[in-house]
Amino acid sequence: MAADLPVLTGVLLEQRRSLMLWAAAVAAVSALYTSFYPAMGGADLQSLIDGLPEELVTVLGYDKIGTPGGYLSSTVYGLLGPVLLLVFAIGAGARLIAGEEEDGTLELELTAPVARSRLFGERLLALWLDVVVLVGVLTITTLVLVVTLGIDVGLSQLLAGSTALLLLVLGFGTLAMAVGAATGRRALGLGVAAGLAVLAFMFDAIGPTVDAGWMNAVSPFSWYMAGDPLINGFDVPGLLLLAAVPLAAAIGGVLAFMRRDLMV
Amino acid sequence: MTDVVIRAEGLIKDYGDVRALAGVDLEVHHGEVFGFLGPNGAGKSTTIRVLLDLLRPTEGRAEVFGVAPHEGGPPLRARIGYLPGELTMSGRRTAGELLRHLARLRAGAGTQRIVPLAERFGLELDRPIRGLSKGNKQKVGVVQAFMHDPELLILDEPTSGLDPLLQREFLDLVREARDRGATVFMSSHVLSEVEDVAGRVAIIRAGRIVDLDDVRTLRRHAGQHVRLRFAEPVAVERFRELPGVSDVALDGITLTCLLRGEPDALLKAAAAHHVVSWSAQDRELEDLFLDFYRMPVDVRAGQEVSADGR
Repeated sequence: MAADLPVLTGVLLEQRRSLMLWAAAVAAVSALYTSFYPAMGGADLQSLIDGLPEELVTVLGYDKIGTPGGYLSSTVYGLLGPVLLLVFAIGAGARLIAGEEEDGTLELELTAPVARSRLFGERLLALWLDVVVLVGVLTITTLVLVVTLGIDVGLSQLLAGSTALLLLVLGFGTLAMAVGAATGRRALGLGVAAGLAVLAFMFDAIGPTVDAGWMNAVSPFSWYMAGDPLINGFDVPGLLLLAAVPLAAAIGGVLAFMRRDLMV
Repeated sequence: MTDVVIRAEGLIKDYGDVRALAGVDLEVHHGEVFGFLGPNGAGKSTTIRVLLDLLRPTEGRAEVFGVAPHEGGPPLRARIGYLPGELTMSGRRTAGELLRHLARLRAGAGTQRIVPLAERFGLELDRPIRGLSKGNKQKVGVVQAFMHDPELLILDEPTSGLDPLLQREFLDLVREARDRGATVFMSSHVLSEVEDVAGRVAIIRAGRIVDLDDVRTLRRHAGQHVRLRFAEPVAVERFRELPGVSDVALDGITLTCLLRGEPDALLKAAAAHHVVSWSAQDRELEDLFLDFYRMPVDVRAGQEVSADGR
């Protein structure tokens, strides 16, 4: 592998420590929330939610929090997991090309006998592998606790949720990398991807309350959550829409990266 | 047959409204050490970045080994060793890890020369990059540029950050590369850095080549500062008319002037008077270099320009 993908290997070696810290954080957050379920979840929580205004419950995404799958959707999978993973993926995506170009560290790699498309591809692969590792950590932590605590969520529901979460995070991470690669500006990559992620989250949350279906139609968060994968399992149309984002961003990013002036 | 390794023809590069290169023409021949001189911001790094396909020319054409950098791609860059002008490195990796990584990007070429080159420059390979001083980072840059014995070395301000002893070691390395047949293209804003190794020198100013000559000719153009003391005041006008003599100044009985070419006419004119003492000092090439810097942009090289800036 070292001989075949030297750029990827270099990135992974460089960031191995930071990835481990992120993995520990993701595991801790997943474990904390999931293990609260026996204490908070079930009928008690449902009666608490019933006392809240209906709109507030919808905006908070707590409408199904009384069921085990709904609880995971509202907490690990619907809020803290995505937030943590998106912060990582958008930050890493913006840094992996634009950030390193801006601070100059990419110059030696760009002037080595490596094609730009390959450099982009291997760095993208590094980002994707990181995200796979972190979503894997989240999934395994949750799975272990679901089994130990006897929470009633099936393996296939869990995997459906994780797959959709993975694609969601890949989408925004790749977008950050693509915008950065197209412009050479790390801040722009960060800003565009983070801004759109926040917008997507808001659209998903307020779309139902203000009766604006288009908000949910265009929000990747809705593509992720609308089918309730942790209750209903794999939602193929949603997954396809989610998968289109990283692919489109990657193609746009690499084409722009191959054309422009670098290290300006 | 003289192989042209680097060729630039009417190379123009605009950054938005700013014209960084205004039509650069250059030919660097196989096996020569070519000095590329100019003040900061004259277009040295821009030219170099076009050669490495980091930048694409707005107009004109650049060729390295007969192909445009963009068309040559990775196989072309495999034949080049490049030392960036502003070398930035960071991270937890050690210098050795970074160098081995860069060698892997070259399919392993140069791996076995990392240790000997590092020893030669006193670079500690097990130190983390981010703790290295500017000079040590520059050593990493030198090692990675030379380790794979490239056919062409493109060195942007290579000696900046190196102490004088290591500068000499570096120049030895350049000579060795030349002796084994490599071509070296090195930029600098100080002439003395390239004077000892370079055969030919181009001077770039405001995105244009204002002079291209071999170092010896450049030195002849630089001329001598001549100082003559007479026993009694002399008529300064006579000296102003002499061929090859310029910048004539008379201070009481001491005459100073700038002499380019043969001293014959000056000596004969002086011999008409009682000469008490005389001295002739080679002008530093640096002074000539400054002439070009001060010259208005569209004045062509070769014309007489005042070197007086004091």
